Amino acid sequence: MNTDLTNKRELLRHTVATVAYRGGKAVANAPEGFEQFRVADGTRTPGQILAHIGDLLDWGLSIASGQQKWHDSKPLAWDDEIARFHAALTAFDAYLASDEPLHAPEEKLFQGPVADALTHVGQIAMLRRIAGGPVKGENYYVAEITSGRVGAQQAVPRREFE
Amino acid sequence: MEDKRKLLNHFLAALAYRTQKALREAPAGFGSFRVAEGVRTPAELVRHMASVLGYARTFFVGGHYRPEALASFEEEIERFHELLGLLAQHLRNGDALLEGMTEERLLQGPFSDAMTHAGQLALLRRLAGAPVPPENFIVAEIKEERLGPDQPRPVSPDKIWPEAPKGWEG
Repeated sequence: MNTDLTNKRELLRHTVATVAYRGGKAVANAPEGFEQFRVADGTRTPGQILAHIGDLLDWGLSIASGQQKWHDSKPLAWDDEIARFHAALTAFDAYLASDEPLHAPEEKLFQGPVADALTHVGQIAMLRRIAGGPVKGENYYVAEITSGRVGAQQAVPRREFE
Repeated sequence: MEDKRKLLNHFLAALAYRTQKALREAPAGFGSFRVAEGVRTPAELVRHMASVLGYARTFFVGGHYRPEALASFEEEIERFHELLGLLAQHLRNGDALLEGMTEERLLQGPFSDAMTHAGQLALLRRLAGAPVPPENFIVAEIKEERLGPDQPRPVSPDKIWPEAPKGWEG
């Protein structure tokens, strides 16, 4: 691991960790069958949104490593898709933490795949509420979010509310 | 400007861009569209986004921030953009953060909160029957100094939109 990352690259890693924390919370303990919940015709199901987030993170890694490619994947079973989400975050973060050069500025990586992923996490959270299984609110600024912690094992929330 | 703050300012600009994309040319009455009981309307969401940005600003200026409901959706949107500008100015000035707040916590808390809500506005547009066309955001003209409601059009709108409404022409 590179211990001399630029400040921007380190903050991008923190954003990726934030996606892991918030995304992990939005998908955890979802109601039975939530992955197939379709709120209206023409809308993505949570399973499709989570698969899209996985694609975005893979895309982000491909851009960072200079081999940009996009792939539309079919949703996996919910638990497998959650595992894929964290695996994609782990691979992306590992690249950001390495000595390898970034083939796109941090700003572009942020405004594209990473920001997209955050917006879709918000959509899953909204669908949780519409589906009758809302995620608890939280004061995220005090949450224990740490660069590099991008796997399924996330910290326990410090300040949740209904 | 210090590097982390430069990226935070870019975050705010991306938030301005994505929020405007989700709001411009919205159907009449979109501000009060409620998809289900207990789910915020777009106007309530934008007010909440102002609330979290105003909260973030208290870590520069102290005090508390609780935005009152405004008379129109347009005013809510205007206030949201004003707050983006005020926050960005604190970052540009290098103003000190209070109460042990850090750039990382600003990002993981209020800034990311607002970004997730921008995604919810886009979802509500679709549910209201007026979805927003997709684009490649990595090439979007997102500029740190551009935080107001006047945001550029997509540089690279998607040619293919599987979930497009009937009659869409890319």
